[in-house]
Amino acid sequence: MSARVLVGYFDSEEKVLDATRAVREAGYALHDVYTPYAVHGLDEAMGLKSSRLTWVCFGGGLLGGSLALALELYTSVVSWPLNVGGKPFNSFPAFVPVAFELTVLFAALITVGSFLARVKLFPGNRRVALPRVTDDRFAIALEAREAPSEASIAEELLRRHGAVETARMEVAS
Amino acid sequence: MGPGVRRAALAVAVAGLGTLAVGLALSPARALSSLLTSGFYFLCLGLGGAMFLALMYVANAGWFTVFKRIPEAFASYVPWGAVPLLALVPFAPKLYLWARPGIMETDHLLHKKAAFLNVPFFGVRMVLMLALWTGFTWMLRRNSLRQDTERTEAQTKRNVAVSAVFLVLFGLTFCLAAFDWLMSLEPHWFSTIYALYNVAGLLSSSVCAITVAAILLHRAGALPQLNSSHLHDLGKLMFGFATLWAYLWFSQFLLIWYANIPEETVYFIARMHGGWAVPFYLNLVLNWALPFLLLLPRPAKRSPAHLLRVAAVLLAGRWLDLHLMVAPANQPEGAGLGVYEVAAFLGVGALFTLAVTRAVRSAPMVPAGDPYLVESLHHHT
Repeated sequence: MSARVLVGYFDSEEKVLDATRAVREAGYALHDVYTPYAVHGLDEAMGLKSSRLTWVCFGGGLLGGSLALALELYTSVVSWPLNVGGKPFNSFPAFVPVAFELTVLFAALITVGSFLARVKLFPGNRRVALPRVTDDRFAIALEAREAPSEASIAEELLRRHGAVETARMEVAS
Repeated sequence: MGPGVRRAALAVAVAGLGTLAVGLALSPARALSSLLTSGFYFLCLGLGGAMFLALMYVANAGWFTVFKRIPEAFASYVPWGAVPLLALVPFAPKLYLWARPGIMETDHLLHKKAAFLNVPFFGVRMVLMLALWTGFTWMLRRNSLRQDTERTEAQTKRNVAVSAVFLVLFGLTFCLAAFDWLMSLEPHWFSTIYALYNVAGLLSSSVCAITVAAILLHRAGALPQLNSSHLHDLGKLMFGFATLWAYLWFSQFLLIWYANIPEETVYFIARMHGGWAVPFYLNLVLNWALPFLLLLPRPAKRSPAHLLRVAAVLLAGRWLDLHLMVAPANQPEGAGLGVYEVAAFLGVGALFTLAVTRAVRSAPMVPAGDPYLVESLHHHT
């Protein structure tokens, strides 16, 4: 799948924030905004909804903690009970450190894995980044749905808000 | 706060501490335990303010500058907070087992500790520690106030140096204070992580109190510059320190539980059974489980009303935590939330309120000369 977009390139984060707000106010559909680093306030300027990744993280933690407790309960109570210092086989305090570690491990790995899968960052994906957006350029990509004559109005809007260059292209959606 | 509120606070302080004075005659151990718990609780809020400031200075942090007068005001309570603790020294034999007349002759283990655990040396250590903390908090505050008129970065640099020295000395002396004032209530028992566990409680409760004060001042219109990003970061610190507390609490418990040596387990046996069992488990809920879940979502940490509720839970939890450290030594039979506990909390709390509001009113709310002020005003997370 690919989408036709109009890309405007900017050379500072202030300009890209300003232009992002302006194109949204003018009613254009944002495809995405690309920046070399995380820009504070860009999520609000783009009108992004809060991420659902936090729930993935919470679920991953719950899963890790439950699996750890289940494993410990099975191995030390059901499968192979050992008398350690005369303590009960089912000793919750002893299970806590492993449950804690696996909670953190599962939460972290599942969150990072889900993020990479969601943004399609994995081996074999040959998508090419826009020129210089990993270096010193900030790019706004608008969905180019309009007729070419109207699209020039969008181009004009981007330039008025500081775009140093604009381009039409197909990008992977 | 108007003069009416100050008069009311003064009345509460007099009434609370007066009740304790009566209690000293009727039920000395319980009255003194209550005074130790609440005296230490509020002293820790003051010290926590100083530690918060010092941590921010050495980290070259700029986000907190807009509300830095609040931890400063807390820190200026330290000399006031010394009074309830110093008042304990003459009554030490009623509170501390090792100070009872004749105990050293009959208890071999305590006899071995007599060179350290005796009332004169205990009093000297307390005076020196309180004087040291008072000196450093006074210096931090004085330099900060001078900056209001000087408007240069010289005082910030000076406070970074003062803070670095303070943090090292505070780490050492606070450990000693926790061992001296709290752990020695049960002088046969020992735990090396005890002091660190107390530092976690201090940080957690003082960040909560700073958050509460900031939100209340913002609502009163005195601190309009406070934004949701400042609250978000305070919320993260509350969350982090509550979890640190749980981590250290469990580290202490686990090692004692699995080693299962009688002279160590005695501490938990006394608290996990009988009248202390309910507060023992409630402690974990108030200080960690509840705040952890309540502060997990991002919007929770940015909502003033929600933060106030969580801070109330944690501040109540910190009192319960200290009560569980102090009271069972002299009241092994069970929990108690009676007139003395309430009187001590309200009495010392009123003293704290008086000292803090006095400090808040005596200086401009926003430090106009601080080079980090602009960064703080534009703080965005």
